Amino acid sequence: MARDKSSPSTGAQTGEVESTEGFSGAISSVAANGASAASGEAAIEIKNLVKRYRNMITREWVNAVNDISLEVKQGEIFGFLGPNGAGKTTTIKALLGLIFPDSGVVKVLGQAPGNNEIKARISYLPESPYFYEHMSAKEIINFYASLFGLDPRERSKRADYLIDLVGLASAGNKPLRAFSKGMLQRVGIAQSLINDPKVLFFDEPTSGLDPIAHRDIRDLILHLRTEGRTLFLSSHQLSDVELVCDRVSILYRGKIRKMGRVDELVIGGNVEILVMGLDPTPTVTAELTALGAKLEQSGRDTLIIGKADIESKNALIDLIRRYKAQLIAVTPTRRTLEDIFIETVREGEVEAGEATKFAEASTAEALEVK
Amino acid sequence: MGTVFTLAQGTFGEAIRRKILNIFLMVALAMIGLYFAFTSFTAREDLTITLSTGLGVISLAGVFISVILGINLVPSEIEKRTIYTILSKPVRRHEFLLGKFFGGLTTVFVNIALMGIVFILLVWFKIRHPEASVWEGVLMIFFQMMLLSAVALLFSVFVSPFVNFFLTFSVYLLGSMSSVTESLATPGKDKNPITVGFFWLIHFLIPNLGNINIQNPIIHPDIQIQNMDVYMAQTILYAIIYSAIMLLIAILIFDRREV
Repeated sequence: MARDKSSPSTGAQTGEVESTEGFSGAISSVAANGASAASGEAAIEIKNLVKRYRNMITREWVNAVNDISLEVKQGEIFGFLGPNGAGKTTTIKALLGLIFPDSGVVKVLGQAPGNNEIKARISYLPESPYFYEHMSAKEIINFYASLFGLDPRERSKRADYLIDLVGLASAGNKPLRAFSKGMLQRVGIAQSLINDPKVLFFDEPTSGLDPIAHRDIRDLILHLRTEGRTLFLSSHQLSDVELVCDRVSILYRGKIRKMGRVDELVIGGNVEILVMGLDPTPTVTAELTALGAKLEQSGRDTLIIGKADIESKNALIDLIRRYKAQLIAVTPTRRTLEDIFIETVREGEVEAGEATKFAEASTAEALEVK
Repeated sequence: MGTVFTLAQGTFGEAIRRKILNIFLMVALAMIGLYFAFTSFTAREDLTITLSTGLGVISLAGVFISVILGINLVPSEIEKRTIYTILSKPVRRHEFLLGKFFGGLTTVFVNIALMGIVFILLVWFKIRHPEASVWEGVLMIFFQMMLLSAVALLFSVFVSPFVNFFLTFSVYLLGSMSSVTESLATPGKDKNPITVGFFWLIHFLIPNLGNINIQNPIIHPDIQIQNMDVYMAQTILYAIIYSAIMLLIAILIFDRREV
């Protein structure tokens, strides 16, 4: 078969085999220079993407992705968030040319996905990937490298470099069936770097990993960030996303509910006031709502979540005193991406007219943590 | 071609280690071995029975190996998500499908070759001279299984492995009865033209496995093939062309299939 002329040149990368300090050395430079280098050109473009599936039981059409549009600049780390079933993987598959849009346009590096020229410049790490277990880490990297048409010597050099980069040098010749999930995920990242890709798609790269493997993979992502690659990251690890991403979008039921820079989204905080003996009568609830606060009840304890500014805080404390309730704690909280995520999903649920078990569960969980 | 070869290598490495296939191989080898251990050869009839029994065991094990392997080649890659890491590399869909097919076919070949070699050696050991019809029979079983693998692969791109199992097995059974479907498809005075047309269609579409099955002349020595080389060349060519058509249809469907 004719090999695409656009197959990647990995000369620059293979040259690093001798000069690299190893992954830990690369990470130390991240602390000094954590920012990514996003340029003006679009690496990923999605315009009005719609993807529908037919429910096999009810025979009804369901919009897995419902008219979403976004653009990711080259060199940008973009977090693509959403609860399970929101349409994240469907969107990624459309960007890889694995599925075809019902309507709308998707482009990667300015071209329609799916052709070999584009595939040579991108890479994909699926959630919980499986690799041929009879092969060793080096063999599987060799296997994937040969799909790029690299010659055996170059493949072998590249495999050694990548195995070392992901911290598997001592286990490179062991069969993958003996690997833990974290080790397999490292192999997955190594295979995603074979072609020195310009754009990477990572789907839940840290799901189900132990804390050490989790941190290592996060560090690897930070390493990729310093190399100026574009990363489209789907993850439930919101603290990681907050740390590594320039921008995020939050998807719910196939629609983008929120999108923006992480630092802009997390601006503004709340105050959590824990109170005992406050009867949540409709009057109390109405007064709290008027002050922009929310009330969550757990037994005799009440958690009031209000705005963090001094006027709102004082007004809430005055209200508690007025109703002769006992003030237990006042805790100012910074908004995190998790807050924004939960808020966005709840809004989506309310919009979808759902009484949410999810909201109750997360409230109970929040109180338990306190 | 390099991509197809790489994918075939990966598929073969994975398939040859599948325990369920190894069990079929072991059972078949044990059956052949036990048959020889407890049978004494005295007459020509005994050899004929031995040949048909041995080839029957190889054929049956071959069917199970080909079908179980063939129906899972593509779905298991989708289920385990290996297909995503492969198709997101510079691999065309037809290369992926051909790689899977040839990897699977190599596995079938190795399994049949192992059973065949053991059988040929045991026959040779018993009758003290090599018997040509044994290796001819084994070779024809391989081509029969190649055809069946192509059918299984075709079905696997649009039906579930469970449905595919029954579909491919039905094709095998109907194809093995090709002489029956042929006679039903032959017009006659008392025959309903619609029924004849229906069986003609079945006979036309379903692979003619009965003709490929060399065991028939062994079991029925009265059926004489004038020129065995020409007969084998024709049936092998038929199996190759039929398999190629199956693969072509599978490629056309898979090219537009969402994974």
